[in-house]
Amino acid sequence: MFDLYLSAVIFGLTISGILFLVSIGISIGFGLMRIINMEQMVYYTFGAYLTFALVAGTGSFLLGLICGTLVAAIAGFLVETQLLRRVYGKELMFTMVVTFSVFMIGIGLVQYIFGLASKPVGMPFRVIVSIMGAQVPLYRLMVFVISMSVYVLIWMFLNKTIFGKAIRAGIENPDQVQGLGINIRKIFTITFVVASGLAGFGGALNAPLVGVAPYMGFDMLLFAFITVILGGLGSIKGTLVSALIMGQVMSVGGTIYGPLAFVGPFMVMFVVILFRPTGLYGVKGRAFGFEE
Amino acid sequence: MNQLSRYVRGPLILVALLVIMRYLFPNKMTFFWEVSTFGIYIIANDILYGYMGMVSFGQPFYLGVGAYAAAIYLAHIGHNIFIAISFAILAGLVTGLILGPAYIRLRGDYYALINAATCAMGLFMVEKVLYSITNGDDGLWYRSSMQPTPLLNLKMPGDVFWFTMIILGLVMIFYTWLDRSTLGAAFRGMKASENKMKFLGYDTFKLRWLGYTMMCVLAALSGSLYAINYGFVNPSITEPARSAEVLVATLLGGPGSVYGPFFGTVAFIGIKDFVSAIMTRWELAVGILTIIVCFYFEGGVWGTIQKIGYKIKARATKTDRAVSGETAGSSKS
Repeated sequence: MFDLYLSAVIFGLTISGILFLVSIGISIGFGLMRIINMEQMVYYTFGAYLTFALVAGTGSFLLGLICGTLVAAIAGFLVETQLLRRVYGKELMFTMVVTFSVFMIGIGLVQYIFGLASKPVGMPFRVIVSIMGAQVPLYRLMVFVISMSVYVLIWMFLNKTIFGKAIRAGIENPDQVQGLGINIRKIFTITFVVASGLAGFGGALNAPLVGVAPYMGFDMLLFAFITVILGGLGSIKGTLVSALIMGQVMSVGGTIYGPLAFVGPFMVMFVVILFRPTGLYGVKGRAFGFEE
Repeated sequence: MNQLSRYVRGPLILVALLVIMRYLFPNKMTFFWEVSTFGIYIIANDILYGYMGMVSFGQPFYLGVGAYAAAIYLAHIGHNIFIAISFAILAGLVTGLILGPAYIRLRGDYYALINAATCAMGLFMVEKVLYSITNGDDGLWYRSSMQPTPLLNLKMPGDVFWFTMIILGLVMIFYTWLDRSTLGAAFRGMKASENKMKFLGYDTFKLRWLGYTMMCVLAALSGSLYAINYGFVNPSITEPARSAEVLVATLLGGPGSVYGPFFGTVAFIGIKDFVSAIMTRWELAVGILTIIVCFYFEGGVWGTIQKIGYKIKARATKTDRAVSGETAGSSKS
């Protein structure tokens, strides 16, 4: 019984890692650009499908991972420079509807190219390690470790480099940053490209675990939004903590009672929205920084 | 009398148009039926989206409430179709009254997302938790337990069409009244600035609750019409993935106007039919279309028609004035 729950906890850590990677874009998108990024999951879907195509074609998972991330970043660049620039500063509803249509276009493109059926993706390696009696695939552990290192990198980027400091200042007050002579539009673009690249990276990592399907982004979109809301919009640390909680809710909850894996997050979201709408690390009425 | 005809004329013309079209194209009856049923659903969404400015990503839930209420009544409790529809309306009313106070105090984006969560949980309820009542994915089949009704036999699709026309007419009259009443103006005022409405002494909480409950009832009514026409209901009616349809159709028509939802429905279902004949799925076309409408036609189909109408009218009055000015000038001299 113990090893069952231990492996559930470790599976949950993997889910947390993926959730964290795909939620950053939504969190920063709200904090920095004040838009609701419904289309972030297009990049997730693209990353996963690219991995699927390259693993099926060449057999190399690493190539799929790199190409998936790159293509997602390029797609993010195109969407940001061509479309989202016209959206900044409009009301939130408008950004939601526009980005949601981008999401639909992405789903339509994927369906057009790859068809409607869901497909499995081969595991890159099948090593299984045993931790205190629980049999865990090494790949799942690696996903968690990789996403945690991504968090550390983001933290260092935001706190140690001048560029990251500009982003943090932009989250506090974009107008003043522009007043200091920093090109805020350029910051937006670069942040957006990095975020969409990370979403693609998350999709590529997740592809061997869940397979690919055109609507794979839809459920993930809801889960990612739940993660961001639980953590507090605009806070990276909050996103990480809530991703960790979410993973356990889905994995351990699903072990106790099967359907909880899907419904558990929504129940959490219900409670959070009704009783603490600002989330764990959010502050009401204020754009919140990454630290405290 | 004049007062009444102001509210009745437009909806009657619309319904008459639909009936004429139905007899002009007899093999397209399903299309016209779906337009009117989906239209009620879109009107429900437009009360929230167009008038109050609240986006929801979980509209299929409210449709599902009505459909399942009618289906459960017909499959387990009774046989009378009219009671089933009343039952669905009651279910919508209760849903609105219970969920309303918790939901409507949320800000726009949170409101949209909690609806998405509600929709996912509703799907889960009918698929898994209430399996013994709803039969899960297999759906409920109850056509054989539906009793033929006098006057309009609602077991027959042709009569369901007429019944839907009557309902659509009534809903449209209500909606026209709403658009021109103080209530509608108060809804619009809340969209523009809620604080100012509070300052003017309106209880915005109650107004929102009222609007939300109206939305629930109308969506449930539309769901019950679906349930009766098809004779079966399965969980795909409450799928969260279908929540996009509602938003797109509302946007296409032009949110916040009387005939917007209707024209949006015609455009949306027409495009869907047209595109799915060419491609297997319609997401790509609908997505591109929505973006075009968002950026270039802010008023949607109806807004564009109106704008053209105003232009023509303005030109007409200008020439009128020119002509009358000339005559006035000539009479002086």
